[in-house]
Amino acid sequence: MTSLKSRSYWLLSLGLVVLLFVVAQQLPQLQLFPEDWNLGWREPINDFKRWVVINRTTHWLFLLIFEPLSAVLDFVIRFVEDVLLWLPWPIIVLGFFLSANKISGLRLALLVTACLVLMGLFGLWKESMQTLALMSISVIVSLLIGVPLGIWAAQNDRVDAILRPILDAMQTVPIFVYLIPVLLFFGVARVPSAIATIVYALPPAIRLTNLGIRGVSADLLEAADAFGSTARQRMRKVQIPVAMPSILTGVNQTIMMALSIVVLAALIGSGGLGDVVLKSLRRLRVGSALEAGLAIVVMAILLDRFSAALGQRSIQFSQPQFQGFRLFPASWQANGFAQRIEGAIDALYVRSGNLNAWIKSRLPERFRSDWASMLLVCAVVAIPLLLLGIDNFPRDWNIGISKPVDNLVEWMRVNLYNIGDSGIGTGPFRDFLIVQIFLPLTNFLTNVVPWTVIVLIATVLAFRTGNWKLTIGVVLMLVFVGLLGMWGFAMDTLGQTLIAVVLCILLGIPLGIWASRNDTVDQLLRPVLDLLQTIPIFVYLVPVIMLFGTGSVAGLIASLVYSIAPVVRLTNLGIRKVDETVKESATAFGSTGWQRLIKVEVPLALPEIMLGINQTTMMVLAMVIIAGLVGATGLGLEVIQGFANDNLGRSVEAGLAMVMLAMVIDRIAQAWADKAAEAANLKA
Amino acid sequence: MSIVQLRNIWKIFGPTPQHVLKNISPQASRAEIQAETGHVVAVRDVSLDIAEGEIFVVMGLSGSGKSTLIRCLSRLIEPTGGDVIINGQNVTEMNETDLRDLRRNTVSMVFQRFGLFPHRRVIDNVAYGLEVRGVDAAERYAHCAEILKLVDLQDWGNHYPHELSGGMQQRVGLARALAVDPQIMLCDEPFSALDPLIRRDMQNELLHLQKTLKKTMIFITHDFLEALKLGDRIAIMKDGVVVQVGTPQQIVANPADAYVREFIQDVPRSRVLTAETIMGPANAATATDQSIPAHTTLEELIPLVAPTDAALPVVNGNGEVVGAVDRAAVLQALAAA
Repeated sequence: MTSLKSRSYWLLSLGLVVLLFVVAQQLPQLQLFPEDWNLGWREPINDFKRWVVINRTTHWLFLLIFEPLSAVLDFVIRFVEDVLLWLPWPIIVLGFFLSANKISGLRLALLVTACLVLMGLFGLWKESMQTLALMSISVIVSLLIGVPLGIWAAQNDRVDAILRPILDAMQTVPIFVYLIPVLLFFGVARVPSAIATIVYALPPAIRLTNLGIRGVSADLLEAADAFGSTARQRMRKVQIPVAMPSILTGVNQTIMMALSIVVLAALIGSGGLGDVVLKSLRRLRVGSALEAGLAIVVMAILLDRFSAALGQRSIQFSQPQFQGFRLFPASWQANGFAQRIEGAIDALYVRSGNLNAWIKSRLPERFRSDWASMLLVCAVVAIPLLLLGIDNFPRDWNIGISKPVDNLVEWMRVNLYNIGDSGIGTGPFRDFLIVQIFLPLTNFLTNVVPWTVIVLIATVLAFRTGNWKLTIGVVLMLVFVGLLGMWGFAMDTLGQTLIAVVLCILLGIPLGIWASRNDTVDQLLRPVLDLLQTIPIFVYLVPVIMLFGTGSVAGLIASLVYSIAPVVRLTNLGIRKVDETVKESATAFGSTGWQRLIKVEVPLALPEIMLGINQTTMMVLAMVIIAGLVGATGLGLEVIQGFANDNLGRSVEAGLAMVMLAMVIDRIAQAWADKAAEAANLKA
Repeated sequence: MSIVQLRNIWKIFGPTPQHVLKNISPQASRAEIQAETGHVVAVRDVSLDIAEGEIFVVMGLSGSGKSTLIRCLSRLIEPTGGDVIINGQNVTEMNETDLRDLRRNTVSMVFQRFGLFPHRRVIDNVAYGLEVRGVDAAERYAHCAEILKLVDLQDWGNHYPHELSGGMQQRVGLARALAVDPQIMLCDEPFSALDPLIRRDMQNELLHLQKTLKKTMIFITHDFLEALKLGDRIAIMKDGVVVQVGTPQQIVANPADAYVREFIQDVPRSRVLTAETIMGPANAATATDQSIPAHTTLEELIPLVAPTDAALPVVNGNGEVVGAVDRAAVLQALAAA
């Protein structure tokens, strides 16, 4: 492969493509994917589903396995939910406040409190607690399965070798594909959404536990052995504690993954906040969708910071770190009012510390801990509140933002859609995109370019970047898409993906370069990118739909916003990572800033930039289904419509096609990025 | 009676070490074996006897196999061939339980990069050996508080290792090894990660501790001066082979080969060589009013022999005359480098 000169390889490939183009004009089998090659999986799948529906109450598989599992999970979730709703809301806030304070300090405690109160003020307390219950149980089960599996994989290379590709696939596969079998066996309700969440959130728990334990340095293992530890002692006393920061990062990621599918889980009946988002979106009540979306964001922030603080706490110090807390900026120090408030906070803090010490001193020795004393305080406060009959957040404390948002949307719909009938505005912009770009590109990919040419191009790329194995895999996967009867839809999706990726690159790389040059830009961009990755995908859709209505354009813009972060981030990182002396020598030879950028920094940062593009592409593909939810055509819409029309076979076919497409693109991009990294290393 | 005996220890790294061991030709060098079989001979036919209560230093450059050798002792690395005999028991034949008992009770270790557990307080690091042995908490904390006093860290028990300086961390490492009250301590370059001044302090502290504890220590170093300072006896390794074993004086006075001579070049001979190593026969003594203890260094000897032409008698610990030194002998010894 390397013996082939690069230029002649591409010329040869181009020649083949042209040749195939011409030949395909004569042979219709090479032009359009022959319909009679269809594997016809749709009906058998639907038959199977019908069989499941009929036998759900009689077959042993359901009676002995799925039903009991379902019953246990349902009981636990319901129980937690009931407890959360039965407890007076101030106790839940107090509990979170005290634990956050214990774990990290007053700052986190106040943040957590603000988050919870905001959920209440949106009038979404009940739904938030439902989501919290479902989330907690799902995350706990994920960890109960994931951490032991991770430990096992860390000890046993064979287990690791088996798990690794499965986890890779699990993270490549669009979320929706998990829902299909779950839906099949568990129907629509709380339990299947919990199971889908558990499965989806599992990989980081396994991966990071494994990584953490494998990362424990050989020095420590040797020391443990030298003192005569048994394998068990070594694991319990050394490996797991040392790996704890990594394991807790896994917990944090597990939580974030679980939260990111709250809305999707609502599709199969999870209830809670996701349900509010979905129902509001369906009725195009943007205001309340935004409220529920924000509540999810707030919960994400709460759980993220909370679990991240747990991770940091595991890096230990003998004395509590300095607990200085300033509510106001330093420049306000002279202000008497600010001083008085801060003084009051300090005093209160010291008093409650004393109270805690007093309570602890009264507790029996075995239970003498901050946690026990906190539990006691909560219980004592809870009793009068329960007697007063306070449970949920009071309804009339609502500061809902749905009205003003709805008004704003209405205003935008009226005023921005087509400003003064001038042909300028979001409506004409959307029409332009659809008519001038989407439709022609889709038409070009599906009707003009023969399917064989697409396969050939993918083959050429795969062969150039990877090896024989990759090439054969790519060809098989693409043909499989055709055999599923999804070629046309796949090309539609491919076209939209290409447009989104190209736009991400065109916007993201300059932004990344700018951020690498300018610290202010970097600092401004960082929290924005963080936020974009924390917010559940659906929330992007709300304002986008407001402006552009449903359809492919809304899908495109949502994909863009969701997926641009990695390109920006990694471009910035890559350029900043370039060795200072290399930059200096470029300057010393009299390069202009631009020359230095183009000739030195960008080439050296190429591996990172490629990685960013790869990640962005995968994120765009992950958005395909969600884009389908807002009416973007292609595979996503096929999956959704399959669901809507009780045609599971159609959903499965489209879902599988999507997995194939994602894998083809990912593997080629991955091989390409590896190659770029190799080349950069050789240069260095 | 030697407490540790190594009998023909071999360690070969590679896919089929046993096969290579059987077919090895005695003349082949390490590089030749590696080129021919792809196996690395880390330790080659090493036999040593280590006496109770001595500090036995194994000295060699990096890659000489000294760290591998010390690990073969408690089978942290499994020797390819040969026997390790500790207290008359053959360690190489022990099953897993007996081996663990040996590591828990008899042999402990201090590591080059400390190997402290970052998630455990200093006191819990020191208590680790007792903890895995199953000693209950109150007892092990009481004992370890004592041990911390011994290494002058009594106020640091509740801190975490990363809050301590490098020298302090290694004192924790030392304390951890001492806490199990082992017969034998293996020290794998314990001081080489430390600054020179701190290293000197630690060496002095180790010698000070050893005066009262009288442990058998097997001490690895690549620093010849450290070996001279600490070692009762020194084994010098090169390419997996022990090239010379002897007291510091014997080695400085009679280096076995060019490799050993290299090390000796920078040694301040006047501080290492003693009257005992350079003395002539006892009947040559001519002075009677003055005698010299056998362990007097040349540095101390010079002012004594300088003013006189007479040969001074050298006496051992029991006051018996064992030899004689004169000015000429001292000058010759100093010049021999």
